[in-house]
Amino acid sequence: MKINISRHQIYILLLTLVLLLFVLLFSFLLLIPEGQDYRVKRKELRKATLEYNKYKEFHDKTLTTLKDLQSKNRNIITAFERPFSKERFEKQNRVNFSSLNISRIQRAKDEDGFAVYEVNTTSHISSPVNFYDFLDGLNKGDWIIGANFPIKFVREGEMIRSSFTMKVYENNADKNSTASASSAK
Amino acid sequence: MKYSYIKPRKKTPFTPDVMLIVIFFSITIIMLLSTYFFLLFKDYSFEKERTKLLGERVVLEKNIAKMDKQISFIKEQKVLAQRVFTQNMVLKDSITNLFDLVPERITLSRAELLKNGLILYGVTPSKDVYNFMLQAPLRSIFQKSYTSFYPAGNGWLNFVSTNYIDNDESEELDSED
Repeated sequence: MKINISRHQIYILLLTLVLLLFVLLFSFLLLIPEGQDYRVKRKELRKATLEYNKYKEFHDKTLTTLKDLQSKNRNIITAFERPFSKERFEKQNRVNFSSLNISRIQRAKDEDGFAVYEVNTTSHISSPVNFYDFLDGLNKGDWIIGANFPIKFVREGEMIRSSFTMKVYENNADKNSTASASSAK
Repeated sequence: MKYSYIKPRKKTPFTPDVMLIVIFFSITIIMLLSTYFFLLFKDYSFEKERTKLLGERVVLEKNIAKMDKQISFIKEQKVLAQRVFTQNMVLKDSITNLFDLVPERITLSRAELLKNGLILYGVTPSKDVYNFMLQAPLRSIFQKSYTSFYPAGNGWLNFVSTNYIDNDESEELDSED
């Protein structure tokens, strides 16, 4: 049996084979690996998005906590940042005393990482009630100040002379990152 | 001399069969190439977006660490402030108690409040008045209480009362606090 294949048919067959080979090679060598890569990268992106969302959520939560703390403790935060002013303190507390004298501010040993300044105070009061009002006022004042032992009361005629030490607490510019520099010392 | 009655046609390799095959494969290859380039583009955009997200995550991490630091710092400030405020109130109560402790018949001329003690100077009409009205309550507060008397000019007695809390006990109280 003789098979009659024309030149033209051979040409078509060859062309078909070449194109088919190209399609197969292209698919297996480039397209399929690229598709796999695509799937891996899509998975990685999903994972990264999930992690990012978790971080974002935690970030927002932490920010809310911080803002809440800042708004609730605004007075305390400001008081720690504000440098102590002898003149302003005397002006604010003069109402409780007949006379108020504050000695030089001296740096004391740091407490819990905060800077501590000691101030010796002598004053004249007409009644112990004035001293109670002064202590109440300290807790609402512009600075974080603790009255400290020893406290001496001496009667001088109708007046009482009191002398005591106060500790003024401030942010430590060396250690506390959010501390502001106190230049008024 | 002519062998055929028709005019010879021009021979071309692009027969309808070939054209069909070429069109078929062209469409196939175009589709494959477009899919390939689409995947390449998507890979690039995924990678770019992932890098961006990772960068933003690092920024968030830094912000979170910074905010945590600020939160703990504010908490430290709050704790210290509360401690100082409490100390002031305790001090106020101590002074109030001291002045409430002294009866009207006894007059104080000087009072020294120490961390672990109290020294009082004053005048009393008699030792008995002092012992009943001031010494008794002082003894209930302080473990060590010493008093010395010396006469004042008007028949009354000057007194110096030195009172201390035991150091061990005060230390215990401090540690309990």
